[in-house]
Amino acid sequence: MTGSALIIAAVFIAIFVAFAVYDVLIAKKRSHKKYKTGTAVTAYLMLLPAVVLAFLFILLPILYSLGYAFTDYYLLQPNSISFIGFDNFKQVFEELAKGGTIYHALINTAIFVVGVVPLQIGLALGLALFVNKPFKGSKIFKVCFFAPVVISLSVTSFLWLQILSPSETGLLNSLLGVFGVAPHDWLRDPVTAMPCIIVLSAWQGCGYQMLIFLSGLSNIQKSLYEAAALDGAGAWHKFTAVTWPGLRSTFVYILITVFIGACRILTQPMLMTGYQNHTVTLSYYMYQQGYTYRWVGYSSAVALLMTIVIGTITLIQRRAFREKN
Amino acid sequence: MKKFFNRLLILALTGAMALTVASCGGGKTNDDNSAGEVDPTTGSTIVKVMFHVDVKSTEGQAYKKRIEAFNAAYKDRNIKASATYKARSAGAAGYETELLNNQVSGTLADIITFDAPNTASYAKSELLYDISSLVPDDVKNDFFSLNTYNGDLYGLPIQESSAGFYYNKKIFRELGIDVSGYTVDSPWTFDQFKDVCAKLKAGNVTPVDMRIDATKDEMATYLLYPFIYAAGGEFTSPDGYTATGYFNSDKTADGFKFIKSLIDAGYTSYSIGATDFFDGRVGMYLSSGWTIPDLDNKYKAVFASRDDWGLLPYPKSVTAASATGSWSLGITNNHHTDKSAAKELLLWLISTESSEAITTATGMIPARKSVNTNYAEGSPEYTLLKQLETTGRERPVTVAYPTFTTCFNQVIAALGTGDVNSLLNTQADTLQSEMNRLKR
Repeated sequence: MTGSALIIAAVFIAIFVAFAVYDVLIAKKRSHKKYKTGTAVTAYLMLLPAVVLAFLFILLPILYSLGYAFTDYYLLQPNSISFIGFDNFKQVFEELAKGGTIYHALINTAIFVVGVVPLQIGLALGLALFVNKPFKGSKIFKVCFFAPVVISLSVTSFLWLQILSPSETGLLNSLLGVFGVAPHDWLRDPVTAMPCIIVLSAWQGCGYQMLIFLSGLSNIQKSLYEAAALDGAGAWHKFTAVTWPGLRSTFVYILITVFIGACRILTQPMLMTGYQNHTVTLSYYMYQQGYTYRWVGYSSAVALLMTIVIGTITLIQRRAFREKN
Repeated sequence: MKKFFNRLLILALTGAMALTVASCGGGKTNDDNSAGEVDPTTGSTIVKVMFHVDVKSTEGQAYKKRIEAFNAAYKDRNIKASATYKARSAGAAGYETELLNNQVSGTLADIITFDAPNTASYAKSELLYDISSLVPDDVKNDFFSLNTYNGDLYGLPIQESSAGFYYNKKIFRELGIDVSGYTVDSPWTFDQFKDVCAKLKAGNVTPVDMRIDATKDEMATYLLYPFIYAAGGEFTSPDGYTATGYFNSDKTADGFKFIKSLIDAGYTSYSIGATDFFDGRVGMYLSSGWTIPDLDNKYKAVFASRDDWGLLPYPKSVTAASATGSWSLGITNNHHTDKSAAKELLLWLISTESSEAITTATGMIPARKSVNTNYAEGSPEYTLLKQLETTGRERPVTVAYPTFTTCFNQVIAALGTGDVNSLLNTQADTLQSEMNRLKR
């Protein structure tokens, strides 16, 4: 494996160097006297550390994963890997067809995405609009809303485990107990488990998107609101006619990043429920297959399919929300 | 000056690149001999061992002392042990992830600790070295359990574990429940177990914490699998490659149905708090020997002395069965082909002296029969030891063990609401698919 990594690295460096030399030569031809080769070489050398890191930690794992998807790589036997063509992909579709765990993972991931994307973006937008108005203590609110983002997902998951504890002493159950509601096992009940994870995830993540919306809001010219006010627009009309169009590109960016993040959900179900059919997600399934069951080849095939699906949906989103000039 | 700076920059970047590429080149050093790395200062062969505990823990400290003692004893024989400690940060899986990473990168230690149920998959994958010929027969015969696969020996434990039902004697006395006759030699039955639960429930006490909520890792499997054996069930065929007809057999279903009947009757539930037994709110608590030090030292308000708590064996149905299995030591199939130095360290770590020293620190049962334990008859430790000797049954030996645990956990997690036979059929299919995949 080390040998193949070195070969890939050598090929990559050769491509990078060839590109750099070609670029320098072309640029020199076009820019006549002003162009200095030394400056260009220095620029490329400056770029090199970042390129090497990107290669090692992004490109190389992707290339490996792509290759492993067509092999029978079993983690305990890293020295006996055979090419098996599309067998892993065939198995994925067979598992899907017979309603195996991957079927549940796909459905749960879809439910999570459909639930969390609008909720998280809606919450973020609402919070951004709320704290965007200058009032006493708005900064404190900003800090409070952003705080969950800087807490690790493991910590927030454990925190919510306490809130959702099935015992009578659980925070939510004791609160509901005041109103005579019987204790409920929120995370074991297939009906309530995923909604709980959706709420936790939206709460945890919306602070970050709130900040991005805030920066988008700050770019909208105040004169537009003044003009709208002069035209007699109310708050809702101002929002639909000024704020929303002004936030469109920010919204598209947030939509795509939240969507991709939601498709990759892993930590919350892993820590809160364990590997259960009613909460398993595609990333969790992939992890379980790759690490716990040690089928790296199969897991890589799932990863590749997942990348294709997420990439396709992202492209559709971009096309659907593309600004028409 | 500018030129000089540019050249310096080029040199630095080239150096960094070379270092990065070199660092990807695996863990083998130039100082290796066939038995292990060589200490450049002393010339000793270094045997590396990786433990699954934090070095600061009681168990970690006990291992550390034994390693130091080994180094002192083997100084003249030019063998030196070097230990690394990787705590199980995310359950057993955390340590295993580290182990798998080492396997992939070719940096496996010479000796590792591993959870006993992984023996089959590690042995089949040749991660573990066959130590049958390295360990004398009299030593092998001295162990309660051996880590074997296809008749070959791959690991030996230092300490053993067994589990049972800790009970609150004060509550039992107040409710007039007499369990003094239930011993390992004369275990209680499933029905008697239920009778005790009924009396506890009638006394407004949550009867028993069966740990049915502990399905995120190995805990529920480890504590509950004996119920299935006790009901006459099995999980897999003896060769570990067939689940259909075993995992979903009628007798296996009987074991799970018994656990379900306890849930349905309100004798146990998924919502019992982790400390409810220790706070005196639950009558019985299913756990392993590691709870003994906690009850002796931590929860003095409820359990002032051993007069306040006791330990009951697993109940029997068709037969008696109890939990066994702990972490073991094994030699790996790493690039050091000469295992003589590793053998010395392994035999040292599984010696009666090591077993005694480490179990004294941890409070667990020694894995070797010859270690003098002197447990008082009727004491919790005595009950656990007797169980190991008479009713202990190991978890299924199968290369698909990780899937077995997942399947078992999924059945337990769904027992409260699901139909036992349907759950077992689904999971038997899953387990069988995995076994077929591994058989290929």
